[in-house]
Amino acid sequence: MRSPKLKSLTCAALLPLLLSGTSALAGEFDGYTLRVKLIGGAQYEPLYAEIPKWEEMTGAKVEVLSRKNHFELDREIKQDIAAGTLDWCVGSNHTSFAPQYGNIYIDLNGVVADDVLAEFDTLAIKNSTVNERLVQLPRHSDVSNLFYKKSLYEDQANKDAFKAKYGYDLTPPETFDQFKDQAMFFANAPTFYGTQYVGKDEAITGRFYEMLVANGGALFDENWNPTFNSEAGVKTVMWFKELYDSKAVPAGVLNYLWDDTGLGFASGTVALNLDWAGWAAFFNDPANSKVAGDVGLVRAPKGTGGKRSGWAGSHTFSITETCDNKEAAASFITFLTDHDRQMIEARKGLLPTRTQVWKDVKAEFEAAGNAFQAEVVDTYSKSMAEDAFTPPLIEPWIEVSNEIWPQLQAAILGEKTPQEALDQAADAARLIMEDAGYIQ
Amino acid sequence: MARKRKSPYKTRQALTPYLLLSPAFLVLLFVVALPLLFSLYTSFTGYRLVRPESLWSWVGTRNYERIFADVDFWIAFGRTILFLAIALNLEFIFGLGIALLINRITWGQRTLRTIMMFPMMFSPILVGYQFKFIFNDNIGVLNNALQSLGISDAATPWLVDRHLAMFSIIFAEVWMSTSVFAILLLAGLFAMPRDPIEAAKVDGCSPLQVFRHITLPFLMPFAFIAMTIRSLDVARAYDIVDVMTGGGPAGRTELLWTLIARVGYDNSRMGQANAMAYVSIVLSIAFTYYFFTKLVAARRYMGGAA
Amino acid sequence: MDGPLKKRVASVATWIVTFLLMLVICLPGLWVMLTGFRPNREVLSKPAIWIPEQFNLNNFAKIFGFGAEQVAIPVPAYFTNSLVIALTSTVIALIIGMSGGYAFARFRFPFKNSIFLGLMLSRTVPGIALSLPVFMIWSRIGLIDTKLGMIIVYTALNIPFTIWLIDGFFRQVPKEMSEAAQVDGCTRWQAFWRVEFPLAKSGIASAGIFAFLTSWNEYALASQLTRSTDSKTLPVGLMDFTAQFTIDWAGMSAMAVIIIIPALILTFLVQKHLIAGLTFGGVKG
Repeated sequence: MRSPKLKSLTCAALLPLLLSGTSALAGEFDGYTLRVKLIGGAQYEPLYAEIPKWEEMTGAKVEVLSRKNHFELDREIKQDIAAGTLDWCVGSNHTSFAPQYGNIYIDLNGVVADDVLAEFDTLAIKNSTVNERLVQLPRHSDVSNLFYKKSLYEDQANKDAFKAKYGYDLTPPETFDQFKDQAMFFANAPTFYGTQYVGKDEAITGRFYEMLVANGGALFDENWNPTFNSEAGVKTVMWFKELYDSKAVPAGVLNYLWDDTGLGFASGTVALNLDWAGWAAFFNDPANSKVAGDVGLVRAPKGTGGKRSGWAGSHTFSITETCDNKEAAASFITFLTDHDRQMIEARKGLLPTRTQVWKDVKAEFEAAGNAFQAEVVDTYSKSMAEDAFTPPLIEPWIEVSNEIWPQLQAAILGEKTPQEALDQAADAARLIMEDAGYIQ
Repeated sequence: MARKRKSPYKTRQALTPYLLLSPAFLVLLFVVALPLLFSLYTSFTGYRLVRPESLWSWVGTRNYERIFADVDFWIAFGRTILFLAIALNLEFIFGLGIALLINRITWGQRTLRTIMMFPMMFSPILVGYQFKFIFNDNIGVLNNALQSLGISDAATPWLVDRHLAMFSIIFAEVWMSTSVFAILLLAGLFAMPRDPIEAAKVDGCSPLQVFRHITLPFLMPFAFIAMTIRSLDVARAYDIVDVMTGGGPAGRTELLWTLIARVGYDNSRMGQANAMAYVSIVLSIAFTYYFFTKLVAARRYMGGAA
Repeated sequence: MDGPLKKRVASVATWIVTFLLMLVICLPGLWVMLTGFRPNREVLSKPAIWIPEQFNLNNFAKIFGFGAEQVAIPVPAYFTNSLVIALTSTVIALIIGMSGGYAFARFRFPFKNSIFLGLMLSRTVPGIALSLPVFMIWSRIGLIDTKLGMIIVYTALNIPFTIWLIDGFFRQVPKEMSEAAQVDGCTRWQAFWRVEFPLAKSGIASAGIFAFLTSWNEYALASQLTRSTDSKTLPVGLMDFTAQFTIDWAGMSAMAVIIIIPALILTFLVQKHLIAGLTFGGVKG
């Protein structure tokens, strides 16, 4: 009885030592096959082309069990939990999804060396921690900043007309109120719109949530009682509703998701677009976008609470509790998030999680004369480091979100008053939180 | 005494049909019946996808009580019936029109028939994306076309407006599935005997009368076959609706299937979702059974061998 | 000479009108196929670009990994999977359907009508309700992410309709013909293959094309039960063009062309049988 326990204790103690070296030992995992599930999609694939290098270094083989988009992978992992088929080691994960999965993933503290973790953006590491367990190693992050059509702001006639109407200078918005003014000013439906927002699913819940926080509100109080049906909540809903009613956004926004907003801005028919870093390169590529060369970028605006919106998420890697070779798994995810690997992703326009990579890739873009991408890295890394916050890291987050967004839509469409809609959503959210045991 | 003892040949005769049907039974037992038993069981539990142990928490009929008391569920239920009724009828009417038209043509008919079946080559998921982009209010092809042609200068929110959103998903469904009706009705027209029509023409019947009293009754069994076949797999409309609107906005296009998927997978409440799924299965069975009895009646009327 | 000529003109006119009408009906689909050859910037634009400025194979080059810095989507693997799964499940469903259809057409047995209706109703279960239980059973017996697992599921999907169609068809073949063959010294088995099967061929072909198209295009179940290039099918592969925030609609359309063309060719080839099969099979049974 004593020896296996002792053995595992020794292992646990040795693990950090084994992994503390930055490069894996050659042939370390000879003959081992590491089973992984990765997020698929054009933006994420270039990293996977590096996998053979790790295989060569360690002698292990990587078997990619599945490669699917975000939401499909989530469904698949839930099925695995249900069927008890967690017979794989490494899975792509996401900070917004991680709390749902309970304890299927190990705590990486101590498994990945502390000095390696220290090289990551501290906020990204903090956001990857659920119940004080680091259940995932952040790969790259997403946070939104404000893209705008530069020529509109350089046009003298626009400047004069705006100043006359609103009483302050036309410069890219610093607050959500200015954002709304300018969107209404530029809008000329149906040929041109001031801005657009995502209108359904967790997307609009997230936007609502980050503006609520920026306006000084909160989703829950410290005892997990829903508090978003507050004055700040109503004010936030009114922002969406006023833009909708004044036709400053396309009439179809309530059915928009990220693809629609991105493609809409690329079509050149939208003035302002709060969006993710992943689109930056697309917007500035003449083959894909009509606004290429005319794209400006500023930090996300501030709410009335003086805080910038900063709803963020990170794509991450996790190691399963059931993994039969956690050292190999840890070596693999450390490799995929090391400096050189993150540089590859950063060059493609993703926003990695190592602070050194931000500096290096910015320098690289500058040296190549790509001022736009340098600015993108600069802006996004600043908001990642200063403004980023995640949705509440609670298991029923998506479920709560599914109660909030249909009510937001109802309020924006005028089927209910914002207060009614938020009250109903808060009641439903309370039930969920009670069911899940957060409210006693 | 002799009547009691069956001859070996007779016994084999009696067993043969079951033997012949056994592979079908076996596959369906394995792929449909067993899983259904499992989901019937879970509909009486508080099963949550991410908590395997909750599979054993028996809650009796609570899931059913909850959904029966849920207004949103009944609205989705009613909307699903409306969706099916409108879509199936439109598919029948359009299918009939296309079949009648193609039936008049002799030269190059094979090509026309292939063109007619073109939408059947599209995977439902693709149809969903296709119409999502066609109906996009800002950069979609439809609004672009209306604006270029000067028909409308508004950006119509096809997927958001209360009525247009339903129209749009029905349009996509009808586009995808009308071919099935057209091909089956065309087959019916081909099978149609010439003599009664010629006789009616000689008797001075107008083409409309011929159609009303001879062609249409003859085609009805085919129509019911198509209805039955379609009502068997209407649930694949889920893929379309999920991509196009996801049941929104504000639940305006919520059908049973989108609701079930969200409750079951996104909210992880599998027990409750399976209770809803059972209600939706009963609904499909009712539709299918209805058309099937109509079909049998129509066959009798035709003096067929049904 | 006037009459026939007039008739001819009228029929040509009907043909042209019908052809154009068909094209209009197919327009949404044609738009997708054309999109496959155009860049995103032109397709989703405002004001609209009606006459393509660029019309090329770039999207396809990207899919197959010839474009600069693009990672190939494993289309050959998806294509093989789809083909193997769709063809095999169609053939098995036809064999099972022939056996079952023959039972319904040629034998009398208790509860015949109820059993028939029961078989049909098995098809009404929505995929969304089936996917989780099937997944759990499949994962226990190792059928997840295998072609065999998909083949079994699609066979089950196709059996009801196949039995229906083939049953109707066998009833059309007079019983006396096979009895005559049996009198001539054939076994029932031989009589089936020599007499009844050849007459039922087009019915079987039309059941086959319906079964094939169902399997070829199915998405809901395949997306749950397949995971890697071992078994992912083409419709599931379409989702490779979507990521969390982005979608490559032109790329997806190019992939759609790859999915549609083989199905279209196959349909054209079996057209003749399709109509004949449905005509005799469907109604009179």
